[in-house]
Amino acid sequence: MSIKSYLNLYQLQEQDKTTKEERRSFGLSYSGLQNKHIKQLTTWIESRYDTLSHPLLSETFATYLYGLTFVLVILGFLVGFFSGIALLSYNGTSPVNVVYFMAMVIALPLFTMLLSLFSMLKAQQTQSVLVHLSPAYWMEKILLLLPHRFQFDIEGLHINPLLSNWLVIKRSQFIALFFSIGLGLSLLMMVATKDIAFAWSTTLQITPTDFHSFLLMVSTPWSGWLPSAVPSLELIEQSHYFRLGDRLGEEMIKNASSLGEWWKFLVCATLFYAIFLRFLVYLLASFGFHKALEKSMLSMDGVRQLLRDINEPIISTNAEVRTEKQEIDISGHLQIALDMGNTYTIVQGWAMPEMTIKVLNDSLCITASFVYEVGGSNSLKEDSLVISKSKGTVLLYVKAWEPPTMDFIDYLEELVETVAKVIVTPIGTEENHYVTTEKSMKEWERKLATYDNEKIWLQRINAQIIEEK
Amino acid sequence: MSLTHDESMYPKFAVVGHPNKGKSSIVSALALDDSVHISNVSGTTTKQRSFPLKVDGRILYELLDTPGFQRARRVLAWLQKHDVSADKRYEVVEKFINVHKFDVKYNDEIELLTPIMEGAGIIYVVDGSKPYGEEYEAEMEILRWTGQPSMALINHIDEEDYSAEWKRALGQYFKMVRTFNPMKTDREQHISILESMSQLKEEWITPIKKSIMLFERYQEQKIYRSAGNIAKLIHQSLGLIQKLSFDTEEVLDTDKQKVEEKYKNTLRTLEKKTQKQIEIIWNHQQLKKEQAFLTFDELDLFSEESASVFGLTHKELIFTGVTSGAITGAGIDLLFAGHTLLLGGMVGAVVGGTGAYFGFKELSDIKVLGQNLGKRYLQMGPMNNRNFPYILLGRAIFHASHIATRSHAKRSIEDLSIDKHFKDKWLDDTLRKNLEKHHKLFRSGNTVDMEAISTYEGLIETVLKKLVG
Repeated sequence: MSIKSYLNLYQLQEQDKTTKEERRSFGLSYSGLQNKHIKQLTTWIESRYDTLSHPLLSETFATYLYGLTFVLVILGFLVGFFSGIALLSYNGTSPVNVVYFMAMVIALPLFTMLLSLFSMLKAQQTQSVLVHLSPAYWMEKILLLLPHRFQFDIEGLHINPLLSNWLVIKRSQFIALFFSIGLGLSLLMMVATKDIAFAWSTTLQITPTDFHSFLLMVSTPWSGWLPSAVPSLELIEQSHYFRLGDRLGEEMIKNASSLGEWWKFLVCATLFYAIFLRFLVYLLASFGFHKALEKSMLSMDGVRQLLRDINEPIISTNAEVRTEKQEIDISGHLQIALDMGNTYTIVQGWAMPEMTIKVLNDSLCITASFVYEVGGSNSLKEDSLVISKSKGTVLLYVKAWEPPTMDFIDYLEELVETVAKVIVTPIGTEENHYVTTEKSMKEWERKLATYDNEKIWLQRINAQIIEEK
Repeated sequence: MSLTHDESMYPKFAVVGHPNKGKSSIVSALALDDSVHISNVSGTTTKQRSFPLKVDGRILYELLDTPGFQRARRVLAWLQKHDVSADKRYEVVEKFINVHKFDVKYNDEIELLTPIMEGAGIIYVVDGSKPYGEEYEAEMEILRWTGQPSMALINHIDEEDYSAEWKRALGQYFKMVRTFNPMKTDREQHISILESMSQLKEEWITPIKKSIMLFERYQEQKIYRSAGNIAKLIHQSLGLIQKLSFDTEEVLDTDKQKVEEKYKNTLRTLEKKTQKQIEIIWNHQQLKKEQAFLTFDELDLFSEESASVFGLTHKELIFTGVTSGAITGAGIDLLFAGHTLLLGGMVGAVVGGTGAYFGFKELSDIKVLGQNLGKRYLQMGPMNNRNFPYILLGRAIFHASHIATRSHAKRSIEDLSIDKHFKDKWLDDTLRKNLEKHHKLFRSGNTVDMEAISTYEGLIETVLKKLVG
């Protein structure tokens, strides 16, 4: 996984047109990766790679980034190399002060590595000052000076600040490593090609014994297995140099051959502090970068949803076919009986026991010669018998709360063929004193109106009628 | 692609009954789908409608909404003409279907009996708020003839209660009789009905149990999706910038009013868009067409009422400002290892508190920009008002929690009374402090790390879980 994976995912997210079903289908195809988010993302990128539009953002960005890094690495190496040569230049009169070189290969790396460690700790912050100190940070700025086409290619690209910080940190370590290698090489080259008289000199009141103790501490990492690379007190005393007089002391000239012994110490210091430790910091930065890359991929806009879509089953409970609301056009006419008469020859009750019909008649002051129960538990034959006995005007009670079924309509159609008039009277429940609700009346009205038969009448029973009765 | 034997063996349940007894409402509530329409004329549903519970395209169980019985007596009469023993009765029903397959007269009965004869369990629905009638007996007898496992559900469309008489009658025909009010259904009741359904047949226990677990997961999915949408709304709204160019020399008050109105309208649109998305998440698409019942039409986002119901009080606002300011100040103290004698915290608290107090009324500054570039424009945003995110968030949570708990069987547009103490149900001091940290970040107008948005989503998710369950 590299910055390219991040950028490919970024581009995929920008151009994403996949449906939830496609994402889930991917999740099911790679069920072994269930909830292994990073692995899922990298596999997702691979599977969708062909859909990315060209030029690939990752290719464009990586080409320029690697190009720039390469230039900076070469520059770092050259600066290191020539700094080494400059520091080790020996004109034959003044000796080479090892303190300069030590500052370059021990103090400077330790200081910059410390800064790097701090910047790693602070990498989470969007505006990290420490990161901005790094030369690699300025690469980003240099990018802006690049040809217009490139700027166009990466326009709108927003790299996660955490990742861009780690990118800078990692590349800084890489450049610094090559700087150190350049420095080390220059040392080896100068030592091999020149007879350098090393000495140490400082304005500070440091005695050779103090300096020896300090160097013993510095040489700890290699003193055990390479004691010759640890300067002895004798060598330190012999190579103590004072600028006053601007020439080599007699003691130094006398021990000219041993002055060169410093090179072993300087090589070891360079190898350990400038190169080995820097390499360790580089590895640490690479590890941090990798983690930042994972974190940035997971926190990229839309990725959380993508992973959820991949891992979560698609659950649906709704109807497969959506329907539109049906509005039946009621164009038929229905006659409404405004006045409820008192006497009927035949009173029928749909799905009502005879007793209930009689109680109803009594309550509504209706006098009936014949009372019949129809529908309900009656057989169809029994209903036909009732129809055959019916004539004139029939008062037909129905339960208002029960919508008219086709069974009732069949009966009604058969009835109206025999009689002169049917007054359908929906009634409410006994508990409601037979008063019907507006909703149920509308239901009956709409249904009966669709038959548009002049023999069918509807009688509304409201509270007023009940009261009058 | 044809289904394998196992795949087609999922449990099916046909919801049957008399017309207009709430079959569709029950299906709506159990399938969490509000797309079931009720016609203005009874008996117009002529086709069964399938509501499968699908997981990754695989059906776990299927609910079937069927037309009501229309000619039950005639069907029963036809069946009873065949003098067969009980074990052969289902064959007679099959014969009825075959003989009358193309007979429009029996279309509804064929539609409802076909899935039953194909192995669907029977859920017979009656209205317990209306008296029992003997006309139901023909229907129940037909269902008995099918020999399929069955249960009865007593629905309560109105307030009256005739459950006792219904239970006595239904108990003679059905193995199980349950009461279920689809209008007041909650998750517990839903699961309890599913469990009852699983008891109809031994083979159905496992798939239904699995379905119940999936319903739990489905609920979680809907909650986190809602939380994601709400978090996005707050983030977008707080960082919103509205621009309006002008040509006049001086900035006119009307231009300022225009940009402010535009700014407010964009925020209102964002809020409505989120509400729609949440309605879709919870399968309340129908609300779109029926005019969303909860668009707070009577309670504008920027009204005093809205602020008083959903926003923080002056005291809370100042306290929040103080604590959030103190946190920033404490950061300064920490940076200087306490050498500021904790003055940072104290100053931060005062500044935060003052800002909060003064920030109660104004939404955002209106700036005149582009003075030097020739084309001048007014800019409003990002949001300055510290109370606004709480108002917007409160409204969003209120809307989401009501949508999430609204029964899918409801078709009426509710007149929703706003609970004045709603805020106390979800917002406490700890949550307020956590929210404020994010609001501050969103208000800054800077790019916000996805991780911060995810954390914010998590906070909303917890609130919704608490409210929705």
